[in-house]
Amino acid sequence: MFIESRELLMKHKIPVVKTERYWKGLEEGKVYKTVCKNCGEEYYPPIAECLCGGEVEWVEIEGEGVVEAFTTVHTIPAGFEWYGKPYTIAIARFGNVRVMGWAENVKVGDRLRLKTGKDKTGVWKVYFEVV
Amino acid sequence: MRVGIIGVGCSKFGRRDDVTIQELSYEAVKEALDDAGLSRNDVDISVVGSVNTRGYELMPAVPVNEYCGFAGKGPIRVEAACATGAAAVYTAYTSIASKMADVAIAIGVEKMTEVDTATSLAIGGRGGNYLWEFHQYGTTFPAYYAMHASAHMAKYGTTEEQLAKVAVKAHRNAAKNPKAHFRKEISVEDVLNSRYITYPLKLYDCSPISDGSSAAILASEEKIRELGIDDVVWIESVGYASDTSNMTRRESFVGLKATVLAREMAYRRAGIEGPIKEFDIATVHDCFTIAEIMAYEDLGFCRKGEGGRLIESGETDLGGKIPVNTFGGLKAKGHPLAATGVAMVYEIVKQLRGEARELQVDLKNYRGLLHNVGGTGHFAYVMVLRR
Repeated sequence: MFIESRELLMKHKIPVVKTERYWKGLEEGKVYKTVCKNCGEEYYPPIAECLCGGEVEWVEIEGEGVVEAFTTVHTIPAGFEWYGKPYTIAIARFGNVRVMGWAENVKVGDRLRLKTGKDKTGVWKVYFEVV
Repeated sequence: MRVGIIGVGCSKFGRRDDVTIQELSYEAVKEALDDAGLSRNDVDISVVGSVNTRGYELMPAVPVNEYCGFAGKGPIRVEAACATGAAAVYTAYTSIASKMADVAIAIGVEKMTEVDTATSLAIGGRGGNYLWEFHQYGTTFPAYYAMHASAHMAKYGTTEEQLAKVAVKAHRNAAKNPKAHFRKEISVEDVLNSRYITYPLKLYDCSPISDGSSAAILASEEKIRELGIDDVVWIESVGYASDTSNMTRRESFVGLKATVLAREMAYRRAGIEGPIKEFDIATVHDCFTIAEIMAYEDLGFCRKGEGGRLIESGETDLGGKIPVNTFGGLKAKGHPLAATGVAMVYEIVKQLRGEARELQVDLKNYRGLLHNVGGTGHFAYVMVLRR
């Protein structure tokens, strides 16, 4: 015998004040990392405060990256049913940072370029294009 | 101050539609108390390890603690994703080592099957850094390990057949473990023919979604002498480490740095130089088949990149040089997150006492290795246990 729990839905408002430049950048087709002017540390995902205490600058990630890992998700989690088919997630290295994005037909070692786009649910993200 | 394990318990793992989280906990607690020959009044403090992001009881520690008869004694609630169990044991260990308690119980419990699979995947996929991973890209927990598998296969030529052999070994052992979720042997073909969950991992490369509980009672050496207990498994050393929440901040995807760091700490503290020769039994965190391959390498059983060949060699089977996951692994016994690490303690203690029946290993060193990972190397614990 079971008793069904009362439904609990959670939708959060996530503050992105400190990384607004990144999210606005995606809408302009740009993907930003942050680089510390003091120690040179590079951050992706970008953070607004370097752990050394130095000031960071926002730098666009450009050029070609190389795929280091990928997977194609066949068993879809709640929240992504709208895509309606398997999707491929890849991690590619661009200089000193690694970037996650959606890709098609990739394998480890492939060279990629970055672009950005808005999915059906209105979320902006990184898409990779094989060079 | 030496800290010993004097009682262990473990529920049947699997889909447990017959019990709530607190009722499930008590199965392991009761067995552990009986095993130690103690009453609940002998316990000074309880540590309740539970991730429970899939459960209806969002703050389960107090209901669990009350049901198990420890109201008034703790609980300390611990969460370290899939390494919650080892973190709970570590917390119990430190409470005794710091002389804040003489007897402590670590309880690991998880009810994972009360929500549907898509919801479960969406929760597990949040085991990284939500905003930068799941929110945008729909990372699932299997997907994180699958990315590691893709990197390992590309760099070292590890094959899907080698991964399948980890699953075959796990099921072969679990078939003989009455506590296991899966009790059926499978073949390499069964694994290779199963559907992709997230390329390159297939259904049989993945641990199931299971409910389960486990408990371990720890005590100070002084208390153990006072109680007149002479058959004790001692915690010889503990190593712990963590890594970045974001996968993109990792330096490599062919291993888990947290495992390496935790291993170095634990081995150094126990003076371990040749793990294969010095351990009679190892439990490694095989939530996915690739995880066991990487664990072989990161724990020093073989060189980086040779994990696939080690599983093929049969040396990690029962009867091999270093039997690994003789209990069936997370892969086939089941992986009720917080229960897993404490259940590894249960399985090692049973082995070191010579109580593992059909799954018993030969005891030469009376030393066992425990390796429990949280998330995708977000946490790692390595423990050396010795009877």
